[in-house]
Amino acid sequence: MKRWIVIAVVIAAAALLPLALDARGYWIRVLTFTLLFATMAQAWNIIGGLANQTSLGHAAFFGIGAYTSTILLLKLGLSPWIGMLAGGVLGGIAALIIAIPTMRLQGHYFALATLAFGEVMRVIANVWTPLTGGPGGLSVPFMPPSFAGYSFKLLLPHAYIALVALIIVTAIFEAIRRGAMGYRLRAIKENPEAAEVIGIDTTKVKLQATVISGVLMAMLGTLYAQVAVFFDPDTVFSAAAISIRIALIAILGGVGTAVGPILGAFFIIPLEELMNDLLSSRAAGLSQLVFGVILIAVILWQPRGFITVFDSLRARLSGRAPS
Amino acid sequence: MAFLQAVIDGLLVGGVYAVISIGLTLVYGVMGIVNFAQAEFLMIGMFVAWFAWAFLGLDPVLAAPLSFAVAFGIGWLVQGQLIARVLKAPSVAQIFLTVGLLIVIENGSLLLFGSQFRSVTTSYQTISLSLGPLFISVPYLIAFAMSLACGVVLWWFMRASWFGRAMRATAQNPMAAQLMGIDTALMYKIAFALGVGLTAFGGAVILPYVTVFPGVGGQFVVLMFTVVVLGGLGSVAGAVVGGLAVGVIQALSSLVFPIQLQNLVLFLVFILVLAVRPQGLVGASR
Repeated sequence: MKRWIVIAVVIAAAALLPLALDARGYWIRVLTFTLLFATMAQAWNIIGGLANQTSLGHAAFFGIGAYTSTILLLKLGLSPWIGMLAGGVLGGIAALIIAIPTMRLQGHYFALATLAFGEVMRVIANVWTPLTGGPGGLSVPFMPPSFAGYSFKLLLPHAYIALVALIIVTAIFEAIRRGAMGYRLRAIKENPEAAEVIGIDTTKVKLQATVISGVLMAMLGTLYAQVAVFFDPDTVFSAAAISIRIALIAILGGVGTAVGPILGAFFIIPLEELMNDLLSSRAAGLSQLVFGVILIAVILWQPRGFITVFDSLRARLSGRAPS
Repeated sequence: MAFLQAVIDGLLVGGVYAVISIGLTLVYGVMGIVNFAQAEFLMIGMFVAWFAWAFLGLDPVLAAPLSFAVAFGIGWLVQGQLIARVLKAPSVAQIFLTVGLLIVIENGSLLLFGSQFRSVTTSYQTISLSLGPLFISVPYLIAFAMSLACGVVLWWFMRASWFGRAMRATAQNPMAAQLMGIDTALMYKIAFALGVGLTAFGGAVILPYVTVFPGVGGQFVVLMFTVVVLGGLGSVAGAVVGGLAVGVIQALSSLVFPIQLQNLVLFLVFILVLAVRPQGLVGASR
């Protein structure tokens, strides 16, 4: 019961936060991207956290989603909401295509294979100019503002859509984690051979998790396209800016937990923005350098993520004042 | 004839690919770590050679041992201070430590050297030897010869020297090696430093035909992984075969496909090998 109260308070606070920010301002944009990246990291967490399959290629699904809805809008005038569903289907198919040959791979091998898959998609998007506009990228056309057309004058509705997405994807993650599938995935994570012996169809479970993760990731690509308004293959299919970054967010926060990606995103994205603001004007590369140093420091200091810091804090607090 | 020419070019370029990738496979073979930052040491090697050329007037090929030495020193520190701490950590921590290293090195060099492209001019840069109807590019040939020499020295080191044997013992069974009086932490340092040093050496010898800039590592990273996966991650002999194979695949695919798709072929080969034969085509034991 107490747990639900905490969750309700957090959601209510999160719902009020965008209102406290200037609706045209800079920080609402940062908040929107923070929520979006938290959601992406949560989608990654399903396969990367629960099954411990470190994917470095989730940008593939993300980019597919961004391109599908935008191309459907440009060529057929379809609402991005429909495009989001179509993108989800294609993202799921892409997840199947990469998952089937790589399911037997673990650890570094799986990371390498997925990394290459993301790069394959980036190259294809760069070359298939008639459809994707090639390296020049695509601009999302401006439509009269309406919810059905997923078009708004201000960023505020985008922030709320991202918040709703975060709640939905987090709920899906929790449902999987607590359900039978979560137990199977954890069994695979702890010991794949033993999981197989006790009758878990490890290939099937991993496939399911990858497809769910891929579908969600592709749908989030549409959210990104509608906020960013312009994107090119090197942005949405980027290994560094998407695939590695979302994995990092989940890992820094606490991999395999529902809170981890949210903690990680609220740490990394505002920090990056701040550093870009403060440092980029002084010297190119400085903000990314600091980012890399922080990454290394966190991994050496807390390899299991920030969540362990919170856990030990909570344990200490509850130890002092048991209530 | 274009086919034969492509095979020759591919083999010459592939010899260099072998040397820059041996470091990656050596580190994995000895301590089970995939170094995602390996290609950044190629960039370091190229920069060292460029500065040696610009300020000391040294030919980049002659500066290669200097590149090796600088990267060896950096690698020694990185292994001792950073990698050693995650040797027993989950693979996720290992992956992201080296990813962090990649970000730091690439942006550090952007900060130090700026984003401009730098190249060298040498007397042999544009010369080709003609062999009947075929041409052999002199810079390719020199880079190949240097790589071959480097490979032979490495082979001798691993086979005949005490350090090489101790390193192989550590790779096979660290605990047994330790019981035999081998300082395994030292072996890891040597392996990592040697690995990144070889990659930097390769960076110096390709400088006559590749321009250097802070992001140059990104162009080689998937290529290097393809080489080691083709040959079997952890197998040094495999990396040689993989390097030559990747060079030839690249050269042949450029006959058929436009240049933008050259890397696509490589990526697909890479995924295919991982899916079908993750132990590598050679499949030699480490």
